[in-house]
Amino acid sequence: MSAAVNPLSNPKGGKKLCELCHKPAYLQCTKCRVTYYCDTAHQEADWLSIHNRVCQMLRPVRTPAPFHTLQADRDHHRAEIRKAQEKLISMSEEEARRWLFEGRCQEALPAARFCLRIAMETHGPNAVQLVPAYLLLAEANVGLGSLSLAEEYLSQAEWTVLKTPDCSGALRQQLHRNMGSLHNTTGNLDAALQHYANHVYYASEEYGLDSIITCGGYFLMASVFQKQNKIDIVKSLHKKVADSWHGHLSKLMEKRMKFSVHQTLSEVQRCEGDRTLTDLLEEQEKMNTSSAPNSTHCDFNSAHLLHCLAMLWSLAGSWTKALQFGRRALVEVQRVKDHELTAPIQQLLTWIETLPNTLTHTPAITH
Amino acid sequence: MSAPAVLRQQKTPLLPDINTSKISAQDRKVRSHTQKKSRPTTDNGQTSHITKDEISLYRNTQSQNVCVAMLREGFHHSFEELFFLLRRFEEARRAGGPDNPLWYLPSLQDQPDKLHTLQRHLTKAEVAFRAGNFVEVYEEQLTLARYFTGPGEDWLSLHFHQQALRSAQRVKLDGGRKEAEANANMARVFLEQGQLDLAKEHFEVFYRLSQERPWWDATGRTLQHCACEGLCVVYTQLAQGALQSQEYELAIEILNKAFSIAKEADDEEIQGQVAYWVGLANHCVGDLDTAKQYFSMSLNITTVLGDTENQGRAYKAIAKSLESDGKLAEAVQHLEKFAEVSRSNKQQENLEEACMSMGSIYSNRGEYDRGLEYLQQAYEIAKTVGNVGWLQRAQVCVGMTHAQRMLPSFSTHTTNATPDHIRRILTWKDRRQDTFD
Repeated sequence: MSAAVNPLSNPKGGKKLCELCHKPAYLQCTKCRVTYYCDTAHQEADWLSIHNRVCQMLRPVRTPAPFHTLQADRDHHRAEIRKAQEKLISMSEEEARRWLFEGRCQEALPAARFCLRIAMETHGPNAVQLVPAYLLLAEANVGLGSLSLAEEYLSQAEWTVLKTPDCSGALRQQLHRNMGSLHNTTGNLDAALQHYANHVYYASEEYGLDSIITCGGYFLMASVFQKQNKIDIVKSLHKKVADSWHGHLSKLMEKRMKFSVHQTLSEVQRCEGDRTLTDLLEEQEKMNTSSAPNSTHCDFNSAHLLHCLAMLWSLAGSWTKALQFGRRALVEVQRVKDHELTAPIQQLLTWIETLPNTLTHTPAITH
Repeated sequence: MSAPAVLRQQKTPLLPDINTSKISAQDRKVRSHTQKKSRPTTDNGQTSHITKDEISLYRNTQSQNVCVAMLREGFHHSFEELFFLLRRFEEARRAGGPDNPLWYLPSLQDQPDKLHTLQRHLTKAEVAFRAGNFVEVYEEQLTLARYFTGPGEDWLSLHFHQQALRSAQRVKLDGGRKEAEANANMARVFLEQGQLDLAKEHFEVFYRLSQERPWWDATGRTLQHCACEGLCVVYTQLAQGALQSQEYELAIEILNKAFSIAKEADDEEIQGQVAYWVGLANHCVGDLDTAKQYFSMSLNITTVLGDTENQGRAYKAIAKSLESDGKLAEAVQHLEKFAEVSRSNKQQENLEEACMSMGSIYSNRGEYDRGLEYLQQAYEIAKTVGNVGWLQRAQVCVGMTHAQRMLPSFSTHTTNATPDHIRRILTWKDRRQDTFD
């Protein structure tokens, strides 16, 4: 796996630096022979994080270009390298995101750093394509608790976005989301609110007022308002988030039930939806137990949320959970005597139960 | 070399000391990452503190600033509504294309005062909504609806009226008065825009809600009265449309409804107008007796009220019906009264019409002199007004009447065929005088 490399025996002027820490390297990866590390710990970390997937692809990128006599050959080689680099960027971005999802920020760091480096090599140090990498790095650092580093990365990202006036709204909304989260963690609630407001604005422009991303923004704003103790705003925002999720999931369920189209949620959306809806449900249940039992519209919301969760899990393919939530929802709805939701919930439950037995027994999670 | 340096240090330096700035270079490097944009230094070394808010006010569009301000305070419903309205405005502008006058008007996004008004009222409405105070929500939305009166903004006004209606429907404590008022507003907007069916619906709801309720509006009339008036206006317009497309039965049905409502409202003026239209509709169908009945009713009312314009209209209508009945003497009487009324009212058009009709009646009956009198009058009026069409018509009629008057004597002269008579005919043809003999 690794061959020893002596810095003294490198050709003159050729410094081999470690992938992760940029110190003089003592180890070389034998599979690709173009990646160097300072010690085995770094090598193992990098292998686990990203190197096992990109090892072979790095070889053509990092070896110096061969001598071609024809200009056409040289252009062709350059085009190939460019394609390889783009592929590397997207792969590493995806990997980093996957790690961040699962919550493992430490493993996400090497992947994100690799992504940034390749993007810098491909597009230059000031390009707008570096922004996603910066955002990933910032998120990873926030997760690890090193807030100053995160702040640095985010300000780099902000500066790059500022320098490109025709930057897309999608990037801007991501940037503002991350900045808002950072300020939220550091406790600077006003700045957090401003960034979240910008995030919601750009997300609405890009994806529409009712999309899930805008809802995510509203949910984050609600958390800030909760810290500021503005309960009525929080309630209003939570209701809006619940309604949007309900609408979105109902549409997907309808398509699935009528046309058996397997257009399910992506992993990102499923995770986010799960987190949001469970948080909302906990809130509701806390409020239900603490406040007086005659406030009926709170109970309506919890039936709503349970229905959403049932739909979410059935779209994701986890039938047991879907059935569980569906039954709970039915109980709630009957308690509150709200007839609007009973029909859809019944429909959902019957649909799940009438599915072929093979599907109901294997809780496969479809992507 | 140190002596000049020492000397230099004792004097006050001419230029700013660049050496001291090197000491804080480390600081600046660290600070610049996080506060690159919020501390620009001016030339004489003073830092001006500009907050991020001010920078974003300058950098972003007006609409973005307003939206972000609303979201920061937590007014997300207002944000959604504003965003939606801006989008719709843009779409309407783009869909119209360069031919539509909307293209050249400034977009809503670029009118900061309108954006700020929207922001103010929408946020107030949301606060009231959260508190459950729907009356205030209704008031705010009504203010916004009345604020948008420019060209291309009528759909905005309508949108807010609809919102006001929805909030008025949620107001529970005042027995539906706000709902009634909201319906009335919507109906009036639809009437202005010309959508008569929708206007009719809303007026009917208004009428139903305001029956038997002791509500008074700002001018001191009962709301029930306003409802009746509104309904009658809508019905008369619908009936006019039906008459033009020759759906007489429909017109009569609508107008009978209108008449019953007018009677209920106990308002003479509306009754008079509705009666006129009912008569007209019946006349078109051919039911002349009922037509005359209604026309005479309308006439009585208008004479009592002193409404000369409608009085004249009523006279004309009666005269026409009498004419088609064959009772020409009475018809002429009425036309004379019509002429009198129009003269006193100085309505040249009506006067001209009256004179022409009378003239034609007389000349049809053979009373060429009197006919000529009136036709000459009509000709004079047409000249003073300068309407070429009338002028030509009057000229033709006058000429015809002259000719018909001359005809008997001319024909006797030609049939007699004595040299005297022939000479007279020839001299007349030479000189072309108006009269013969």
